[in-house]
Amino acid sequence: MANARALDKRRKSIRNIRKITRTMELIATARYKKAMDRAAAATAYTDQITKIVSQLADAGTDVQHPLLEQREKIRSSRVLVLASNRGLCGGYNASILRTAMPHIKQVKDEIANVTVDVSGKRGVNGLKFRGINTDNKYLQFEDQPAYDEVEKIANDYLAQYITGKIDRLDVIYTKFISTSKQIPMIETLLPLGSLGGDAEGSGPGAGSDENSQYEFLPSAESILEEVVPTSFKVKLFKCFLDSAVSEQVARMIAMKGATESAGDMIKQLSMTYNRARQSQITGEIMEIIGGVEALGG
Amino acid sequence: MAIRCVVVTPERTELDKEADFVALPMFDGELGVQGGRAPMIGRLGYGVLRLQTTAGPQRFFVDGGFAQVESDVVNVLTARAIPVDLLNTDEATKSLAEALEMPSETPEQSQIKETAVLRARGQLRASR
Repeated sequence: MANARALDKRRKSIRNIRKITRTMELIATARYKKAMDRAAAATAYTDQITKIVSQLADAGTDVQHPLLEQREKIRSSRVLVLASNRGLCGGYNASILRTAMPHIKQVKDEIANVTVDVSGKRGVNGLKFRGINTDNKYLQFEDQPAYDEVEKIANDYLAQYITGKIDRLDVIYTKFISTSKQIPMIETLLPLGSLGGDAEGSGPGAGSDENSQYEFLPSAESILEEVVPTSFKVKLFKCFLDSAVSEQVARMIAMKGATESAGDMIKQLSMTYNRARQSQITGEIMEIIGGVEALGG
Repeated sequence: MAIRCVVVTPERTELDKEADFVALPMFDGELGVQGGRAPMIGRLGYGVLRLQTTAGPQRFFVDGGFAQVESDVVNVLTARAIPVDLLNTDEATKSLAEALEMPSETPEQSQIKETAVLRARGQLRASR
């Protein structure tokens, strides 16, 4: 039978760990709510942009822009991987890296010049371990990515794309679908493809009664010139926000699991500990009785 | 007639207020909006958004974006809306100097530079 004292020590340490994981779970829950609110605020902005685009399209503007067009020859490309700075968030980083690796390999086979950028310490280390050299490393993004910071990165990419240094930009991030579902995604942000995106269905219906009466100042073309880069920036920002939310959800769930299994473990250990203690006591009693009987006999 | 002015940035709704008069810093000059204006979508430049409210005038620096006017609601979509008091003249001067240093060898580069210069000038003007 195991040593009762050692069992008690183990039980204590597990209790401490449970305290920590429980706290982490609570913190992650609070952060997740905050991150969620920010994501909702960003949606208000994207909805407005989509509305403007649909009104531009309704007014008969030809929606064309260099950022929207696929380039014929893709000579160099960039991949941006969004992971987290901290661990203890379940399979979050692992699944991002698992999606990123085959993609990077495939892109490298197709295109000669591929650069990989990464956000988050875990991503940096993960890619380094897998033998992939990374160029830019962004470590400043925590649970609330600031638009200013993301915009800087977006402007860099836009400048590189416009000047022809890169012909394609892929972002690998975790898309937040619901609290119980987040999936790693690969999205090509440059060229943008379509402007309307997933909100296309709701856009025209919402403003169809009054549109085409809008006055465009200074002109529809000029507005389009501004809409396209803005929508790229917002899309990139949305990727960062989604990643942040997903990270917190992943941590929340992972820590919840950890707390629960710590509880189970404590129960199990308590039982073994009690048994060990009981058998120790029984043994001692037996010894005393044996001793008494030996003396009496 | 009061109009509602809503300023939205990607991070949050910065402002949602009733105003008597709103002056928008458009791409090609300032545009005043009063109640009953015809629907309009416009491109914003880098300048000062002015609001005339019952509580007094308010001034924000807006960093490009769009404005949409529809049935007495002014929607302003911008990357940043900073109250003018919080702007720093030194910082603006520095960013203008930086913008003027940018290379402009190809048409694309010069376009990027031009935007940066416009932006820095707008910020500097607003900060004074």
